[in-house]
Amino acid sequence: MTGMTQGRSMPVPERRAELARGLRASLPVMIGFIPFALVLGAQASAKGLGALEVPILTGLNFGGGSEFAAIGLWTSPPHLLLIGGVTMLVNCRHLLMGAAFAPYLRHLPRRQVLPALFFMCDESWAMGLADARLGARAGRSQPFSLAYYLGVSIGLYATWVVFTALGALLGPVLGDITRYGFDMAFPAVFLVLLRGMWKSVRAAMPWAVSLAVAIAVYLLVPGAWYVPAGAVAGVLAACAWARP
Amino acid sequence: MMPDPATLGAILLMAIVTYATRIGGYLLLGDRILSPRMTAVMDAAPGCVLVSVIAPAFAAGRSADLIALVATLFAATRLPLLPTVLIGVASAAMLRFMLPA
Repeated sequence: MTGMTQGRSMPVPERRAELARGLRASLPVMIGFIPFALVLGAQASAKGLGALEVPILTGLNFGGGSEFAAIGLWTSPPHLLLIGGVTMLVNCRHLLMGAAFAPYLRHLPRRQVLPALFFMCDESWAMGLADARLGARAGRSQPFSLAYYLGVSIGLYATWVVFTALGALLGPVLGDITRYGFDMAFPAVFLVLLRGMWKSVRAAMPWAVSLAVAIAVYLLVPGAWYVPAGAVAGVLAACAWARP
Repeated sequence: MMPDPATLGAILLMAIVTYATRIGGYLLLGDRILSPRMTAVMDAAPGCVLVSVIAPAFAAGRSADLIALVATLFAATRLPLLPTVLIGVASAAMLRFMLPA
């Protein structure tokens, strides 16, 4: 990334500081990733994926929800239409996320944006956007910091790939890590992210719709369908309730 | 240790589909001037996704998990990220030990 040039490029030391700020900010989320990565790796190895195939999957796809869903449906040989369809459904929220990101990326050329978007997951996106909104409020001329976003992304990506591979290696030995409570790190991280997005009770009403629908679908339908179902229901509610 | 071709094919398919969703919104929707309705949708969408992803935690059938979740929720409304995570993990571990399923 050091060879990157951009129109209104920031000086290298500043960019490095932004990268480090992103890495530091991602640290708690990295800790939240670890138990999930270990569990995913262990589940994948139980489905017959090798210790090399697991990091190839998590390194090329880098989408935890779709990976859990795909591994849950994995057969030998895998059913391509099923795997592709479920991946699309779990990840179609990225379309909305990318569109919400776009206004903050206008000053960047596509050759920088397209590779950067490879790393867009729920967490890196939420953190990048939250930082850009803070920056806009603080009067930063360029609210979105690509270096900060990449710092966040590098930390999260490396954690995910390394610990899913470790999970595949340790799979059989690991046992049930939910016993130790580490799985609660994930909701904790998300709840804090939600607090950061909180504006008003009214603005949070679609979240309640999402939660209710996601819980219902989670209890009634096997697999990871509750994620797209809850997200779409909340978005539809927001659309219906919007003041024209 | 050689990766299996059928497995690699499925992985590649997933990678292509996922990357398409990542760049699709930026490439196809990004340059539109968004209506107030669309803006409201975009404002609500991130929270909707996050809350849906953690829905299974709210649907836990075990009282230890639900009490730990309430403690975590309480912490999340007033503490920074790391203490919240620590409280979440510690309360879940302790409550599961004290209240076996």
